[in-house]
Amino acid sequence: MTYRIEILAHKDDGRGLEIKKIMAGLGKTVNVRVIDVYTSENETAANDVFKNALGNPVTQKINQTPDDFDWALEIGFLPGVTDNIGHTASELLSLTKMHPDESQDLKIPDQVRDAKDEKVYSSKLYLISGNVKKGDIEALAATLSNKLIQRSSIKDSATYKKDGGMEKIVPKVKLDNKNVSADKIDLNISDKELEEIGKNGIENLDGSRRGPLGLSLLYMKAIQEYFKKEGRPATDIEIETLAQTWSEHCKHTIFASPIDEVKDGLYKHYIKRATKEIREKRQQQASSLRRQESSAKSNQIPDQVRDDIYWRDEDRIGDICVSVFSDNAGGIIFDENYLITDKVETHNSPSALDPFGGSITGIVGVNRDCIGFGQGAKPVINRYGFCLADPRTKPQYFRDAKCTNPILSPATIMHGVVAGVESGGNCSGIPTPQGFVVFDDRFVGKPLVFVGTIGLIPREINGRAGHVKKASAGDKIVMVGGRVGQDGIHGATFSSVALDEGSPATAVQIGDPITQKKMSDAIIKEIRDLDWYSAITDNGAGGLSSSVGEMAEQSGGFHVELEKVPLKYPGMSPWEIWISESQERMTLAVPEENTEKLIKHLAKRGVEATVIGTYTDSGRAVISWDGETILDLEMEFLHDGNPETPLKTTFVRGGEEEPKHPLPQSLSLKGEGSASAQGEGQHVILKLLARPNICSKEFISTQYDHNVQGSAVLGPLQGRGRVYAETSITRPVLSSPKGVVLSQGLFPRYSDIDAGAMAAASLDMAVRNAVAAGVDFNQLALLDNFCWCSSDEPERLGQLKRAVEVIYEMAVKYETPFISGKDSMFNDFKGYDKDGKAVKISVPPTLLVSSIGVIPHVQHAISLAPKAEGDLVYLLGETKDELGASEYYDMNGVLGNNVPETDTHQNLRLYKLYARASRDRLIASAYALGYGGLAAALAKKAIAAQMGMEIDLSSLCHPDQGDSRMEGSKKDSSTTDLKSSARNDKKGLSAEKVLFSESTGRILVTVAPQNKKAFEKNFKGFEQCHYIGSVSYSENLMIRDVASLKVKDLEAAYKNTFREL
Amino acid sequence: MSAQVIVLSGYGLNCEEETLFAFRHVGLGGRIVHINDVIENPKMLESYQILCVPGGFSYGDDTGSGNAFAQKMRLALWDDLKKFVERDTLTLGICNGCQILTNLGLVPAFDQNYGVRDIAVTYNKSARYQCRWIDLKVAENNSPWLSGIESMHIPVAHGEGRFMMEDQTLEKLRSNKQIAAQYIIAEPSAHPKLDLGSHEADPDLRQDARIYVLAEGQFPYNPNGSIGDIAAITDETGKVLVMMPHPERGMFTWQRDDYMEIKDAAQRAGQDVPEESDGLAIFKNAALYFEGALKKSA
Repeated sequence: MTYRIEILAHKDDGRGLEIKKIMAGLGKTVNVRVIDVYTSENETAANDVFKNALGNPVTQKINQTPDDFDWALEIGFLPGVTDNIGHTASELLSLTKMHPDESQDLKIPDQVRDAKDEKVYSSKLYLISGNVKKGDIEALAATLSNKLIQRSSIKDSATYKKDGGMEKIVPKVKLDNKNVSADKIDLNISDKELEEIGKNGIENLDGSRRGPLGLSLLYMKAIQEYFKKEGRPATDIEIETLAQTWSEHCKHTIFASPIDEVKDGLYKHYIKRATKEIREKRQQQASSLRRQESSAKSNQIPDQVRDDIYWRDEDRIGDICVSVFSDNAGGIIFDENYLITDKVETHNSPSALDPFGGSITGIVGVNRDCIGFGQGAKPVINRYGFCLADPRTKPQYFRDAKCTNPILSPATIMHGVVAGVESGGNCSGIPTPQGFVVFDDRFVGKPLVFVGTIGLIPREINGRAGHVKKASAGDKIVMVGGRVGQDGIHGATFSSVALDEGSPATAVQIGDPITQKKMSDAIIKEIRDLDWYSAITDNGAGGLSSSVGEMAEQSGGFHVELEKVPLKYPGMSPWEIWISESQERMTLAVPEENTEKLIKHLAKRGVEATVIGTYTDSGRAVISWDGETILDLEMEFLHDGNPETPLKTTFVRGGEEEPKHPLPQSLSLKGEGSASAQGEGQHVILKLLARPNICSKEFISTQYDHNVQGSAVLGPLQGRGRVYAETSITRPVLSSPKGVVLSQGLFPRYSDIDAGAMAAASLDMAVRNAVAAGVDFNQLALLDNFCWCSSDEPERLGQLKRAVEVIYEMAVKYETPFISGKDSMFNDFKGYDKDGKAVKISVPPTLLVSSIGVIPHVQHAISLAPKAEGDLVYLLGETKDELGASEYYDMNGVLGNNVPETDTHQNLRLYKLYARASRDRLIASAYALGYGGLAAALAKKAIAAQMGMEIDLSSLCHPDQGDSRMEGSKKDSSTTDLKSSARNDKKGLSAEKVLFSESTGRILVTVAPQNKKAFEKNFKGFEQCHYIGSVSYSENLMIRDVASLKVKDLEAAYKNTFREL
Repeated sequence: MSAQVIVLSGYGLNCEEETLFAFRHVGLGGRIVHINDVIENPKMLESYQILCVPGGFSYGDDTGSGNAFAQKMRLALWDDLKKFVERDTLTLGICNGCQILTNLGLVPAFDQNYGVRDIAVTYNKSARYQCRWIDLKVAENNSPWLSGIESMHIPVAHGEGRFMMEDQTLEKLRSNKQIAAQYIIAEPSAHPKLDLGSHEADPDLRQDARIYVLAEGQFPYNPNGSIGDIAAITDETGKVLVMMPHPERGMFTWQRDDYMEIKDAAQRAGQDVPEESDGLAIFKNAALYFEGALKKSA
């Protein structure tokens, strides 16, 4: 029998009000009642104790659904989709079963119960009253649900009454005709057939194929060769495993392959080498510093050395890297007791189809990278970053030529990805202060979703270095956490086949952060320090095949007994179990004598753990299935058998001519100083400020718990005016005054002119943001995330190579090592426009550089908000004629040519001087200029402080003549051929260029008058320190001869774009 | 020996470490104990004087925030829990802990009738999770947790913080002095002369001149639409306090949202930044309560 429990929420329920708002957006006035529905086949569901446990008597009614409505809409999950609410209700049902007065039973820790018996399924029922048609309800259903993972049903009130309510649906997984053993695959076949398998997967009995393996013919032939040597046919699980292990996702073949003259590949030759060189240099510096110190008496230490050893402790001299590129995350020194780790991942493809599911599995997935670092790091901060199309647009693209399967709208994607990280981060108790959103219409089909996690781990645990782990032969393979289902098998192969009740489980995954939280707490906060396991890693892409495979590289082999893996539902084939990407699982290597107590302890925490095999030193990867060997491969072939594929590149710089004529939306400087000219200036600055890339994203920050763990120092919203900031500071160890400084930089559009300039600007921004906030320049590291497109085209590879060359040079100069990185090489959407014409939309090649550093005492932190009226405003760094691919040009529909070039040498000089000033607390506020240049920076500062400013740009327009007039610059700019003019033309720049140029290497600061002397002395000899005005006592941002803007108007422009979200 | 605190953990509670840090900072002893360990050995509660259910996302808020964890405690631990609160002990629920203890009926517990659910803490009116700093006025009360506290600037972080109840329950809370704290409007910009950002700001003056204006349901001052601007309530004895805002996230000045402004002003005035901030007072009161009690018994 099927039981259905309906819990009616009160009339004023926030969720109902939200739907009212959505319908109002469609022009309809309705009233909505929200009902939480629980369905179960277990008879305990009829028990009043259970029903009462589900509802709150003050605000809710149980099974008293009203019938005064016009439409009923129910949304539930499709079979096999993770149903967290249902899961919790199932637990309550089990507790109820043990109750009452049998509290004995409760002393048995709640083991994971045999799921089929006590399953409860959740759904939501909305009762809608109002003058609306079925089409309106269908539109609402489309907004509220995702048909890939959810079902919806609609009834009008008459039908509802006639039927006696909604259907009782139990979304059980039914797997039929499944071949639950391994199939043998004969590889003595033609190249054409080999290619077909590599491309579309192994053939099923019915002639259908299992989904793309991404194996090129070259790879398939290597596999064919291997099995010829073994003298037997392959099995399906062997081919699937090789496909996983050799995939671009796991092997990063593009970064590893020989490319042009770079025989050792981009990753080794540039990224890894940069870090190696920096580490060697720093190690040398440290030893020579120590020698100097020990040889010199303290009063003989030269000034410069004394400077270097200010804030002196062992942590910041020398090499800060402890574990780089070899683990799930990179680790650097935090203080004498701890390391901090960082890892940034992308989850782009899943997020395009199911934005919520894609981003939540992304964030909880990267949390596991942290938990899987060394012996296990505690997640202490989350990062996020979204590259999206403008949510106010509604582009029409389809996945099929018949235009029946539209892509999700930019607004739906944005809401979904924002909510996914919210749910994942908030539920896990990890603060999420750090992030960004960047918009470009080319992210329409393939949004970029970045997620990152910072971890904290003792430098020493039980006498072992915290970052060291090793699976040894004889250790048991223990899978911990969630069970395995068909989630994410061939993740990218969602079809448009209609999914209905009784369908096999879908490929879309939903995270279950609470299951993971239980596992994380038990491992990191309890078991790790008991020394019960010898290695740990997470199950992410490739599932067990990659986690077990990776760990077995240390021991030299493994034997997995696959039938022991606990499943969500019966009927899965061995290959599916092996590569399933079901979430919330870690794999441990556990010495046999510890397995029992480990499993028992985890059970006490409500976490399932199972021994599924043994690490060996046999040199072979072996899997058995009920005693039969179904996979038996040489470890060496498995990990290194993929043939090299040399790559060739070409590079052509992009860009157009610089505009010669006045732009449609520009500062018209005719009749300088006149009211009308200032009106123009105002209009343009307000418009710029409202642009999605510049305006406030406060709605995200307030939804993300950014101060859990009590560690937030400098948050995502700064100043009284709450400006959305790009840098955060956190104290992960409450008892230590040291802070972790996080930031990032990315400028996707710059790739349209030069991917090298794009990469340089990104790296510089990541470094400069951290420097501006007061980071110790000696304790600053970087992460690289390449999100490229069409990486099979030489032109795109040429852009990639150029970007990598540039960041190698810069990182070495700045001495900021790369500690971790990831790439995603094919961010292209292939579909159809509204006329059914095939289109390909590629994202602009994007490099995200993330920075992580340490500030020795948070008292030295610098926020972006000016602090007091009368303070002096300085612009540090040189402003050049660099508006190519800028926000300002884009607003005018122009690309231009002068993309910002980065002068690493000049910038480094500035950053070192700045670091000294911040150490001496000479700077009251600082903002690193980025999108929108000086205009956006000035406005954000004024908004943050809720104070006016008086600014005079003449010293910037005419660097040589501080008091020159604007007229001159105007004349120059109209008569000079800009394309050929030097970017730092001594004739000067127009006010327009000064305000909107996006030259890198610049920081806008305010300084208290009493620090003026010391500040100017600090920058003596640095020619790019420009005094440009003061924080004023008025409520206006006054830019002399250009604009006078009320701070409240600036604030409105800055905040209105996304206010309604 | 100082009084001992038990801070619960498990099933998605997640603020246990910083909350224990707060208790320890004021000199109390204590530890974090997983709920399943308490269920396995409920008698352990007898050796503690303070019980704290910290913030978090127990059971992912499924079936209503705090509900599932409360049901677990009710089904597995009720008698021992009741005994605990009936002794001379203090109990504190913060955020998710507030939702759990309210669902358990440890508040309002009219006529000391623990276990009756009279109040719900439910979805924010905005239907949005809100993480932001708010200002609280401590209402007239008889709670040892709140003695000497007038107002607090601390953060909230919740999706379901809206207190709802029948009118007569609200009336009774009022007359019993069981409303512990309410959301107020205390924006510095409303008092330009007392501007925190200005270097002339005088913290003492600011404190004295602060006018407490109830939020009257106005967002974002009242971040969730809570009835009567209620942010915290107690049982009749005042020894059980449940609050949606997080005192442990506002116990030190460096945690404050205006820390950058405060430290800048202090630097200009040549002063040190005070280490402690508003939230710590709650934990200090707990320590004081048992110090007093110990003295009395001595």
